[in-house]
Amino acid sequence: MTDFLFNVIATELEDAVGKENCSTKTIDKITHSVDYFWLSRMWADRGLRMPEADFVVAPKDAKETSAVLKIANYYKIPVTTWGAGGGSQGGALPVCGGIILDTKRMNKIYDINEEGMYIECGTGSIYKHVEWAANERGYATMHYPSSLTCSTVGGFLAHRGIGVCSTKYGKIDDMVMQMEVVLPNGDIIETSPVPKHAAGPDLNQIFIGSEGTLGVMTKAQMRIYAQPEERRFRGFLFQNMSDAFKAARELLQMFKPSVMRLYDEAETATLIKKIVGVEKPGAFMNLAIEGVSEMVALEEKLLLSTFKKYGAEDLGSEYGEKWWKEKITFFYPGHMMDIPQCYGTMDTIAPYDKIEKIYWAMKEAIETNFPQAQFIAHFSHWYEWGCMIYDRFIVDGKDVPQDPHEAFRLHQEIWNCGVRAALKNGGVVNDHHGVGIKLGRLMKEQYGPAMQVFEGIKKQLDPNGIMNPFKLGL
Amino acid sequence: MQFTQKSREHIESCRFCWMCHHICPIGNATGLERHTARARALGLSLVAREAVEFSEDIVANVYECALCGGCVADCTTGWDPVMFTKEARLGAALDGKLPPYVLKMLANFQETGNVYRLKNENKIPDFADSDTLFFIGEDTRAMGCAKMAVQLLQKAGVDFTVLQDEPSSGYSMSFLIGAAAETKTVMEKCAATLAKYKKVICYDPADAKVMKREYKEWGITLAPEVLTFTELLADLIQSGKLPVRAQDLVFTPQDSPLLARDLEEIEPIRSILSACGEVREMFLHGKETMLAGNLIMHQYMPHVMEKVAENRWLNAKNIDAKIMVTACPAEYVLLSKTRPAGIELMKIEEVILKCL
Ligand SMILES: Cc1cc2nc3c(=O)[nH]c(=O)nc-3n(C[C@H](O)[C@H](O)[C@H](O)COP(=O)(O)OP(=O)(O)OC[C@H]3O[C@@H](n4cnc5c(N)ncnc54)[C@H](O)[C@@H]3O)c2cc1C
Ligand code: SF4
Ligand code: SF4
Repeated sequence: MTDFLFNVIATELEDAVGKENCSTKTIDKITHSVDYFWLSRMWADRGLRMPEADFVVAPKDAKETSAVLKIANYYKIPVTTWGAGGGSQGGALPVCGGIILDTKRMNKIYDINEEGMYIECGTGSIYKHVEWAANERGYATMHYPSSLTCSTVGGFLAHRGIGVCSTKYGKIDDMVMQMEVVLPNGDIIETSPVPKHAAGPDLNQIFIGSEGTLGVMTKAQMRIYAQPEERRFRGFLFQNMSDAFKAARELLQMFKPSVMRLYDEAETATLIKKIVGVEKPGAFMNLAIEGVSEMVALEEKLLLSTFKKYGAEDLGSEYGEKWWKEKITFFYPGHMMDIPQCYGTMDTIAPYDKIEKIYWAMKEAIETNFPQAQFIAHFSHWYEWGCMIYDRFIVDGKDVPQDPHEAFRLHQEIWNCGVRAALKNGGVVNDHHGVGIKLGRLMKEQYGPAMQVFEGIKKQLDPNGIMNPFKLGL
Repeated sequence: MQFTQKSREHIESCRFCWMCHHICPIGNATGLERHTARARALGLSLVAREAVEFSEDIVANVYECALCGGCVADCTTGWDPVMFTKEARLGAALDGKLPPYVLKMLANFQETGNVYRLKNENKIPDFADSDTLFFIGEDTRAMGCAKMAVQLLQKAGVDFTVLQDEPSSGYSMSFLIGAAAETKTVMEKCAATLAKYKKVICYDPADAKVMKREYKEWGITLAPEVLTFTELLADLIQSGKLPVRAQDLVFTPQDSPLLARDLEEIEPIRSILSACGEVREMFLHGKETMLAGNLIMHQYMPHVMEKVAENRWLNAKNIDAKIMVTACPAEYVLLSKTRPAGIELMKIEEVILKCL
């Protein structure tokens, strides 16, 4: 781009969002060039500059967003939407330069609707702020991911995020009512006023999970819930994971706990031992049941009798309560994996008939092909029909090449290996962290010819291909 | 820019950590990603690696932090962005890279004794000598008013004096250039002036924070005992010297981060307010309070600072607050500027005077 054209575009963007909300400063470009994706962090750690946007803009609403997208379409420059950069898949990285559209100025709480039981907010709201707004009125959002404090409503929607109480309250895609979306051509649309209807396909679900490739979600109505009268925890130690799966499946045919987390033997012996203090070998499972006290008492009875049948040792409530208090401590530096280690979370999901097989296949694939990697996992989002594996690989710092290109290669190879093992055995590319640039290449491997449905929608809505190029495999 | 080993360690921990994204009053006001602890740390870590220059806008970013300690308090593992941000300010001073607005404030300070170059209209009357000093502070002397506070102390029978030529505690210098030799000189001068008193009552929590914490950290001996104004008022009420009567009023305290976090002083304002009426808390209070304004930053980021105060009013509105009460002169100025209809704002001394 010539300096002259650069200035033309910069002044048009300034006109669209206000001078103070359009930046070409180094600090803004650097800030938006590293997200929670390991590769971007490794790159910066090695003193290298990641690809940077040419312009960083922060519109305040759908109208300003629309103006930005119209400019981008006219000049055919890429637009990458950035929520809080808390995504781990490089989804918000401006890999082709162009415009970063930061949504956090769209952080207004428009309505706390106690009759309709939702909060209408700008999608740039950090989810914790939505939770505060709900709490101030005695409600809760029940969306409690570990990144509650550091990711936006739009980011969670774009990556189909999930929180620790999902088994009872659902995933983010179950928590949204209506949305306002700005299409790549700048048109502002609203999805159906309610999420359940027979007025054709579900527009919400076209944009949820689209990772900024089909438009920008600017407003959303997110559900709120009554605070539970009681929340009771219970920890169990199973002799092996198979028993735990059987017990959990049986339980879920009767009722839904809120928290449900099963740790494999390796994670029980490491992380759980360190933070929660469980010393014995086995597979630790932690549950919470909540709601009206009388129901909770009944559910607890059912829980104890069901798990007893499968030989689970009842460890009482102390571990669960401790975990609840400490649940985000795991993610602060000092507790969390960090560079110089190389690591990643390869979450996938499958029905009960496949889930254990996937776990063993992924474990074997990683451990045999990459003996330097440790493989640990837990299963933390459960349905009547199956559950999610949150499996992680960790390579110790000493085994990670210092050369950034070699470290890059190692990272990609481990991911290919793990995700392909999941796909081969009936899993999916990802459960709740999304695809981004990290896993785009594997989308076609999962979907095959079905990928043309996504490609067709993309082509129709974004003919110039300006929205978040190379993400989601699109 | 050279960082100490300690700062470097904190920068390296924060640069890839997202956990306190939600807590920054500046970031919440602007919505800008660069106003997060991790963004500041990332920029500085790249500076330390010589991947980028300590350029004008990275330096400016170092000045876009209110040093309110919100992130520090939130950090489970105890990393401290305030520490490395102050060190980066010192680095900018040493490298001759201070932004023009900082240079201007430093020049103002040299010439007028306050960074604002303001001369208060309010004349300070002469006070008889005493071994207790009521320390008014730079912000109030420049643009505030301590008349009601003085009146209250007199009503309570406190024997005190006020200096016509009060030195700066060093708060503003410390805010602007951190641990520079010039800051230490200002603090030492203040400590020397205060040496003859037995007690110093700080009207402004900013001065109390510097005297109680930073002097110690810098090895500056301060002879008198230092009390915060709120601490003293709570004692005066407790001992019956300020016989307040509870009114049918509902007060919402705005905890100054300087008091609640830096000095861990949370109870006095509550004990005062509950003696005067009912206390209704904002959702974020005590150690988790949100800053409601900083006057030094207001000089160079006026709209942002006003938005910070407006956000605090929003918090108050959400709990249907009736009267917001502050003990911090800087927060009072900014909250008055932005007060919405339907909620009152009072200084702590005003509440007590009303209830006597
Ligand atoms: C410490 C930590 C813990 C985590 N734990 C969890 C967890 O428990 N559960 C979980 O689900 N995730 C977790 N994550 C991942 C992360 O929080 C999610 O991926 C989240 O969705 C990212 O949101 P963000 O606002 O930070 O989005 P960003 O990273 O900024 O963007 C993510 C993607 O969304 C797109 N996007 C953002 N906003 C919009 C919008 N308004 N319209 C269209 N597209 C948009 C971007 O273009 C990008 O493709 C964790 C992350 C961290 C840092
Ligand atoms: S202060 Fe703590 S929570 Fe904030 S960025 Fe640093 S390490 Fe993370
Ligand atoms: S000290 Fe306060 S203003 Fe500065 S980054 Fe932390 S929370 Fe924000």
